[in-house]
Amino acid sequence: MKRMLKNIGFVLLLIPALAILFFGPRQQAGVPKGRVVVTYWEKWTGPEEQQMKIIVDDFNATVGRKKHIFVQFVSMADIDKKTLIATAAGVPPDIAGLWDNDIAQFASLGALTPLGELARQHGITSKTYKKVYWRACHYHGRLYALVSTPADIALFYNKLIFKSDAAKLRAAGLNPNKAPQTIHELDAYARVLTKFGPNGQLLRAGFLPTEPGWYFPEVFFWFGGHIWNAKTRKFTLTSPEDIAAYRWIASYSKWLGPNAINSFTSAQGNFESAQNPFMLGTLAMEQQGPWMANYIYSYDKRFSTLHCSYAKALVMPLAQRRKNYGWAVAPFPSAVPGLKDVSYCGFDAFVIPRGAKHVKQAFTFIAYVESQPVMERLCSMMSKNSPLRKVSKRFIERNPNPYIDVFEKLASSPNARGLPQIPIMPQVIDELNTEAQAVALLERTPARALQKAQNRLQREYDSYEHVQKLRRAEK
Amino acid sequence: MIRWRNEIKQTAKGLAFLSPWLIGFAVFMALPIGLSLYLSFCDYPLLQPPVFVGLRNYHAMLHDSVFWESLRNTGYYALLTLPAGMIIAIAAALLLNSRVRGISIYRAIIFLPSLVPLVASSMVWLWLFNSRLGLINTLLRYMGVAHPPGWLTTTRWAMPSLAIMSFWGLGNTVVIYLAGLQDVPKELYEAAEIDGASPARQLWHVTLPGISPVIFFNLIMAIIGVVQNFTVPYVMTQGGPDRATYLFTMYLYDNAFSFLHMGYASAMAWVELLIVLILTAIAFWSSRHWVHYQGK
Repeated sequence: MKRMLKNIGFVLLLIPALAILFFGPRQQAGVPKGRVVVTYWEKWTGPEEQQMKIIVDDFNATVGRKKHIFVQFVSMADIDKKTLIATAAGVPPDIAGLWDNDIAQFASLGALTPLGELARQHGITSKTYKKVYWRACHYHGRLYALVSTPADIALFYNKLIFKSDAAKLRAAGLNPNKAPQTIHELDAYARVLTKFGPNGQLLRAGFLPTEPGWYFPEVFFWFGGHIWNAKTRKFTLTSPEDIAAYRWIASYSKWLGPNAINSFTSAQGNFESAQNPFMLGTLAMEQQGPWMANYIYSYDKRFSTLHCSYAKALVMPLAQRRKNYGWAVAPFPSAVPGLKDVSYCGFDAFVIPRGAKHVKQAFTFIAYVESQPVMERLCSMMSKNSPLRKVSKRFIERNPNPYIDVFEKLASSPNARGLPQIPIMPQVIDELNTEAQAVALLERTPARALQKAQNRLQREYDSYEHVQKLRRAEK
Repeated sequence: MIRWRNEIKQTAKGLAFLSPWLIGFAVFMALPIGLSLYLSFCDYPLLQPPVFVGLRNYHAMLHDSVFWESLRNTGYYALLTLPAGMIIAIAAALLLNSRVRGISIYRAIIFLPSLVPLVASSMVWLWLFNSRLGLINTLLRYMGVAHPPGWLTTTRWAMPSLAIMSFWGLGNTVVIYLAGLQDVPKELYEAAEIDGASPARQLWHVTLPGISPVIFFNLIMAIIGVVQNFTVPYVMTQGGPDRATYLFTMYLYDNAFSFLHMGYASAMAWVELLIVLILTAIAFWSSRHWVHYQGK
């Protein structure tokens, strides 16, 4: 009996041991021998992840093979926090795909490798990029990031809804064949295109500032406002222009009621789904980036293929191709007379965290992506505009986004705006989003909300400056 | 001398067997706790070395409106969930303590929700609370409520929504109360019945005093759980709308990993410990008046 129990115990321990031996962790399959492995962490999932993987695979098969570099692409959530923690622990990835709003915070803490010298060696200069992106890649005059793909914000509008409500629009003195040209016109279009059900519930919204609600920290740009004065190092949130921006957000809540808006918004599907309200037709106009074309094609092909197939339309002249689409794009209108082609020009950024093991090899991959043919291919796949100054005719004419020229024009506009380089940017975004929410819920007046944000953020920044002085004194 | 040597040998053997736990405790508990106390007096953005700033972090808390707002929210959440949660759990345990057919099935039904991972149940409740399409508002409209609450989308109802959701996962607590109820001597009920006590009086004078140690244990665990609550509001509301559900631990997390104020977050963690200690001390002090241990 004792012996039998011993044998059973041995077998029970042997089974998991054998399982680990045969099915346990292995060295990554598919990494060719003799290559330097560059780890690249990226935030993208879904179609964008697949599109970037194509570029990575191409690099590995061409330049990577020649220079003995292998880029290992890893998609992950919470990339900013994970990159920070990995960098603090001394085991960062070689390349991290952050957002533009992360650059100032990371750079101010010394978490990023300066890229100026490497960029010069690869022939990348200020003349390579559109001004707005090149500026935003710097912190205190040093280059810390390069653009993986840009993201300008414009107005997407549903041409089919405009057409079906053409008579109503004309009766209100509005042109159903054109997008609104000013903020006041946008509000007028929104009023006409909004539909209510028999019980008074919101069935279709002409426009909502809270949908998708991703650009509250940047909404001031279209009102001629600023968040921050870089010279005086002071926040400027209580300026008349900034208050006007928040007053505009509140105006929709006052008109429709915050409960009605919340009820409507909560019934809409996710952005990345076929139930996206713009695709479903429950939202007639939306403030969005160029990637929207990519997602519309992924989740609602009919919206982009009204008369003929996508492939057929792609070879047509642009003006003709646009007729195949049920949606269109125009610059998001501004509230300031004469202020045209305003856009928030954000971007996804390549950075090399401090302590990365293969800096030169990592930059070789980055430089590969920054080359005109590769960048245009990547941006084309994602339906985005290019961050580069030089753009080929083919990129405009054959881009899956038939309105890419609008985004190109916005990015090159003198009124193209990037985020200010504030080292406490996460607090700024958090505070402005919270106050915008409060204003949209009519919990606080715009002036009070912005005063609250101003006071808190200025105190936060002054505290940051005080501690930086202590650090410099200690050194 | 030999006895002394033997004692040392025995002590050494004991320590040797305890050493894995002792080393683990020292490395993974005592050292981080000690470090966090030091860091609470520093500015530490994780990517730069800590700089000693004295009481600056604690002083900043006094003037930090969001700190007080998160503390108020946590207190409000505790007020909503603690008393109601205990009453619901005791009531459920009393019902499950009866002898009816299929009682094990009813016990399993009550216990099962506590096995569902918090993130999964949060996603389900997000849809239940959906103001337009959710089951709760659909039922309310069916019952004639023309304008049901906006639940998670309004500042007024967001926190009560989280409290309602927390009652769904009371299965663990109910099981503990059930065990306590079955430990109450039956002779006490017989004696009470003979004395003419009604069921209500039996509940008040026999059952509740009999399970008072279990109530006390659950109260302490609930206090700790409420102060540490993070997952559900993080998944369901991210602290909104307008910070209406922004709890203390969420602000601690944001300070540590978004704003990189690790020193301030450490100071908040020590304040949180102090709050839990004070509340626990109050509970212990009050327990001599209402907790009755058997055999005493």
